Amino acid sequence: MGGFFKKAIVHVLALSILSLGSPVVAQAEIIGTLAGLESHQRARSMERVQQALAREEVRAQMLALGVDESMLEARLARLTDSELSALAADLDNLPAGAGVLEVVGIVFVVLLILEAVGVIDVFKKFP
Amino acid sequence: MSALRRAALAVWATAVLAGCAHLAPGLEPEDLARLPRRAELSAVPFFPQREYQCGPAALAAVLASSGLAVTDRQLEKEVYLPGRQGSLQAELVAASRARDRLPYELAPQPAALLEEVAAGRPVLVLQNLGWEIAPVWHFAVLIGFDLDAGRVVLRSGTTERLEMSLGKFVRTWDRAGRWAMVVLAPDELPADPEPQRYLRAAAGLEAIGRLEAAARAYARAHERWPDSVWPVLGLANIDYARGDLASAQNGYFAALALDDTNVIAHNNLAEILAGRGCREEARAHIERARQLAAKTTLEPAVAATSRKIASMPDSESESCSASATR
Repeated sequence: MGGFFKKAIVHVLALSILSLGSPVVAQAEIIGTLAGLESHQRARSMERVQQALAREEVRAQMLALGVDESMLEARLARLTDSELSALAADLDNLPAGAGVLEVVGIVFVVLLILEAVGVIDVFKKFP
Repeated sequence: MSALRRAALAVWATAVLAGCAHLAPGLEPEDLARLPRRAELSAVPFFPQREYQCGPAALAAVLASSGLAVTDRQLEKEVYLPGRQGSLQAELVAASRARDRLPYELAPQPAALLEEVAAGRPVLVLQNLGWEIAPVWHFAVLIGFDLDAGRVVLRSGTTERLEMSLGKFVRTWDRAGRWAMVVLAPDELPADPEPQRYLRAAAGLEAIGRLEAAARAYARAHERWPDSVWPVLGLANIDYARGDLASAQNGYFAALALDDTNVIAHNNLAEILAGRGCREEARAHIERARQLAAKTTLEPAVAATSRKIASMPDSESESCSASATR
């Protein structure tokens, strides 16, 4: 119950932030080309709020993942809204290209398992 | 016991092989007719990967090939995620964008990659060197191929010139969702340009405020696809962002002449007209935008413009049709 109210308050606040300040910045009023190219049928009415929260969510996650604070804002600023939404939704599971060094580790683990199960016995050859 | 072991190993090996066997390299005869038999871009710089830095290393190679002075160490601060011990595709795209390069994501066909290499551009690829259930994500740069030998050449990890069979490469690429990109100068087109892919990349530049690069890309796109509304709309949006409202207004009219159903052209034109006090014209365009945007992701933004126009004072309700296009 408390979680629901918290969420509701966050959404209301986000909405009020969205409707604030727009007359000051004229540029914020027109719609960018990308929004048109990416426009599609809407599933839920909360999407715009979620987009506003996505940047906050990604900022928090990137900090937690050890991104240098001095670079954080620059890294966020160069992502588009839809990229931010995608990262906010699933940052932990998106592919993070790491490299071949991990392969060695995984091969080792697979060999260990095969050894333990008794399929192979490479390690016994090294006393 | 040893017979049982051998049987278990055979079952395991068969399962692994069967999992891959259905994935052919996927080159059609017409692709083969179009492509040279071999190509290798030996001038592509090599940045040997340190630790888990294959993202910065691969990105540095393609950016440097596009004429930028950049190293993997500079990029590390921009694209590496320590907690994930890797880099995300979105951040490689974004880092290219921030350097006024157009990150063009290629069609998910092997031929599209080889065509780019044949055209002299190295291709940044994501591979999965592990399995579906235990993925090992890796970025590498495709720099060459030999169709007769069925081989490809990559800058990969700590290997400057990694040769791999075309079939194996395609399998590792397929397991990673067939993602590949080239970085283009803003007025450069890829070998086989698709308007949607090119325009999305250009609009990404606009979205993060790289206006000069976006304008060059839109101009190139307009030249290539003169009937498309999007380059014209994009150029008008850039005029608006630069404060040149007269050019922006003309641009939105030109966009609507190409496609009268473009929500954004109607909305943004309404915004300009309202700002000039032309309430009647503004209302007509925002009403049209509202109808067209119903139930789409654009609906809230159009509704906001609409509310603003509706709240304009009545005293300014005169018509401006005579001066609408000046």
